[in-house]
Amino acid sequence: MIFSYNLLQSFFSRKLPKPDKLAELLTLHSFEVSEVKKFKSDHVLDIDVLPNRAGDCFSHVGIAREIAAITNYVPAGHLPKGDKLPKNKENSAKDFISVDIRSQSYCPRYTARVIGNIKVGPSPKWLKDSLAACGLNSINNVVDVANYVMLETGQPLHVFDYEKLDSKKIIVRFAKEGEKITALDGQKFDLNPKILVIADGQKPVAIAGIKGGKEPEINEMTKTIVLESANFNPTIIRKGSRELNLKTDASVRFEHGIDVNLTESAINRAAYLIQKTALGKPFRDSVDFYPQKVYPKKIKLDLNYAESLLGAKIPEREIRNILMRLGFKVIGVRNQLSVEIPTFRLDISIPEDLIEEIGRIYGYDKILPVFPTASLIPPKINNDMLWENQIKDILKEAGFTETYNYSFQKELGSVEVENPTSQEFKYLRPSLIPNLLKNIEKNIKSFNQIKIFEVGKIFYDKTEKRMLAGVAAGQDFYQIKGAMDLLFDKLGIVKVWYDDYQATPAAFGEPRPVLAGREDSPKSLWKEKKSAEIKVGNIEVGFLGELKNELKIVAFDLDFEKLKTLAIEDQAYKTISKYPATIRDLAVLVPLTTKVEEVLNVIEAAGGSLVADVDLFDIYEGEGISDGQKNLAFHIIYQAQDRTLTSIEVYKIHQNIIKSLEENLTWQARK
Amino acid sequence: MLHAKDLKELDIAFKQYLGDNGELTLILRSLKDMPKAKKTKIGREANELKNFLNVKFSKAAATLKEKAQKEAELKEWFDITAPGKKADIGHLHPLTLVRRKVEDIFESMGFSVIEGPEMETEWYNFDALNIPKDHPARDLWDTFYLKNELLLRTHTSPVQIRYMEKNQPPFRIIAPGRVFRHEATDASHEINFCQVEGLMIGKDISVANLKAIMQEFFQRFFGKSAEIRLRPSYFPFVEPGFEVDMKWRGDWMEMGGMGMVHPNVLKNAGLNAKEWPGFAFGVGMDRLAMIKYKIDDIRLFYGGDLRFLQQF
Repeated sequence: MIFSYNLLQSFFSRKLPKPDKLAELLTLHSFEVSEVKKFKSDHVLDIDVLPNRAGDCFSHVGIAREIAAITNYVPAGHLPKGDKLPKNKENSAKDFISVDIRSQSYCPRYTARVIGNIKVGPSPKWLKDSLAACGLNSINNVVDVANYVMLETGQPLHVFDYEKLDSKKIIVRFAKEGEKITALDGQKFDLNPKILVIADGQKPVAIAGIKGGKEPEINEMTKTIVLESANFNPTIIRKGSRELNLKTDASVRFEHGIDVNLTESAINRAAYLIQKTALGKPFRDSVDFYPQKVYPKKIKLDLNYAESLLGAKIPEREIRNILMRLGFKVIGVRNQLSVEIPTFRLDISIPEDLIEEIGRIYGYDKILPVFPTASLIPPKINNDMLWENQIKDILKEAGFTETYNYSFQKELGSVEVENPTSQEFKYLRPSLIPNLLKNIEKNIKSFNQIKIFEVGKIFYDKTEKRMLAGVAAGQDFYQIKGAMDLLFDKLGIVKVWYDDYQATPAAFGEPRPVLAGREDSPKSLWKEKKSAEIKVGNIEVGFLGELKNELKIVAFDLDFEKLKTLAIEDQAYKTISKYPATIRDLAVLVPLTTKVEEVLNVIEAAGGSLVADVDLFDIYEGEGISDGQKNLAFHIIYQAQDRTLTSIEVYKIHQNIIKSLEENLTWQARK
Repeated sequence: MLHAKDLKELDIAFKQYLGDNGELTLILRSLKDMPKAKKTKIGREANELKNFLNVKFSKAAATLKEKAQKEAELKEWFDITAPGKKADIGHLHPLTLVRRKVEDIFESMGFSVIEGPEMETEWYNFDALNIPKDHPARDLWDTFYLKNELLLRTHTSPVQIRYMEKNQPPFRIIAPGRVFRHEATDASHEINFCQVEGLMIGKDISVANLKAIMQEFFQRFFGKSAEIRLRPSYFPFVEPGFEVDMKWRGDWMEMGGMGMVHPNVLKNAGLNAKEWPGFAFGVGMDRLAMIKYKIDDIRLFYGGDLRFLQQF
């Protein structure tokens, strides 16, 4: 909010610190000043008044009070002198206007004055300048005063042309269905029963607390005005303002709440100024609907508690002084204070609020850092984090780059966003894959090989879970399968196997949404015959395969929650044999559809414990091999833990393997 | 022999005397046909000469070998300015690196790392944190609402409540994670970003303690020259509330919101403020990363551009 330096100065007889210095003081003790600018012969300060202080500090008097408390300048919290009204014996406002408030719950106070003998005209220069500094346009010498007093005190005021009010009545009520209003600026609004209005005997003449109506607007012909200074229920104004999508200087103030006792001093101030600027003669008395008076409350403050919460010893005298500078009354003895809170401080309700006041005015820079004393309880180990870090490190070692994508996507998901920022982000992601694919598309022009992964939450219904997914371009299935083997191996997960991909739900009682990117989606991303389900024992932990995409992308999608429960931190060292290994090569000619695993199973079963490892080093089909067949070439490593194997021993096992392989008549070992 | 220029010439000389048909070899071979007295004398002299020559030859050979190697080395060279072959390594996201560093620092001070859900209820995200419905304070958080009656958490603060409900004080936790704000994106705003929340509850915990922990954190993260200050601020879940600024390369920068946990929040979690006071803080991890790596656009973190990601 914009504040005028000159207007702030008007509350003090002593010269204020220079604008930049003042801004720094306010930033450190009250509110951040985001900008200081020269404006004609004035300076303007853009002050980010905190929302809980809007009630008293959306006003120059509020900021002046802060300045007084910070700098110890006097006086503070009072309007400029000279706003006493001369006695008007002729007319009483009460005889001219009646005010009818249907419920004090939506309008706790309504103060009105009638001012006659008005000469509407342009405003004097000082008034125009003050408004201009704060970004308001000058209208005339009456409306400008109302706006000026709002800037000064924070109390929005409104002016009606008395002659134009039907039945000389002011009624505060909710709008009726179908009622309309044209605002002062000509904008038309359809009203409804959620919107509070000020009405005369016939129709709405203003949207209460938000904006005035065109009809009773004042102009050069205006002789008598009704000045309104009211207090409205913040929630009602807030809802109405949202309903109409209309924010005004008044609505912003009302929706934060304003001191109900402010209406009177503000209206008197305005009447006094109108008298000066527009020759108006205020009628005797005001009409004041104020059924339930609000009085200052008292809060007990234990200074020991204040000291312990701030972690600093501030002398009692200093504390009392700070509180008094802020406009609080301090009663009580020794360490137990009773503090009377002026009604304009809507934000103060508990002792901690007062402790904040003491701390900030005293200066947080004077509170020296002190390390807490606490029991030496070591932090708990977070297994999720442990494994997430481990997984990321393994994939990084395997050459993958980590990405963070949006949690949103445009493709259909189970959870729809009520208020998306764009159609691109309409759903929460049910899978990490679609956004990873977008990463590939984005990068494929600059990179021929891409290996990326992400660990993040996916969303389904009211549940969310962490997934680990990756995609690769320019890589074949087996390269990524190798990376998966490495991952599982490093996580200590054994018994991993790759099962045929099945488009039907697996039976693990887990919800199976029909969603893009998920296995059973009608728009499944996976190429069925080039994809596998990754299983550990009989638990399905994810998928690996080629995606339906021109770029031949290989992807994996793993359930992090399952990985984390299967992973084992301990790693047992395997004894390295002291005895030499013997390597024999073996080629097997098999039909194209034969799976390597079937052949491996036979080799391992026939070889027994002396086969230390079997390593497939080539799969060949094509020239030299008859159609429909492929050649698998293995290194078979023979080794014992306790002796050197003789060539006769190795020969016998190797022959046994060949014999077993050839029990399958479509297989042929090539010796 | 001493004039041999290279190993080849030396070899010829060797063969001339000690080769299969070498002069000395022939003499030694002829010994068996000699009379005994002559045999003894010549035999001894010939063998001495043979040993002597062997030693000389091997020394000469070693010298020549060394010389040859040196000559060869003089000819061999690498163009050390030609580029090295790129190692095929992976990269962790800068926010992962920052998060790890943050976790390490706080874990070293006894804080446990706790996580919570990204979809939240109104209660945990707002009400329990003393942010009432229809209150302008809620405008501080632009919220994504979901059609499943939940919302996307606007801060990691709900984790505080969830943790306090299930555990007994004292507490020292941090809650890192993804949070969401419904706003227009630009170089410093994103619809999702990362935050770390902290909470310490214990006997006599004070503002001075908060200041010490924050100063320690920023100095460990950015180096000893990082200076901090507290400014008054307002968050409904703390009282007093602050904004922490860090002086970095001459400018004060806003780093996060914090304060002493509001009694109502403690009450909502079943604790009494007088008995168990504490502080809470929230710091944006994207901001930490942007300052650390001099990144000027937050959107780079979520854009998946490998030219960016592979710099880390």
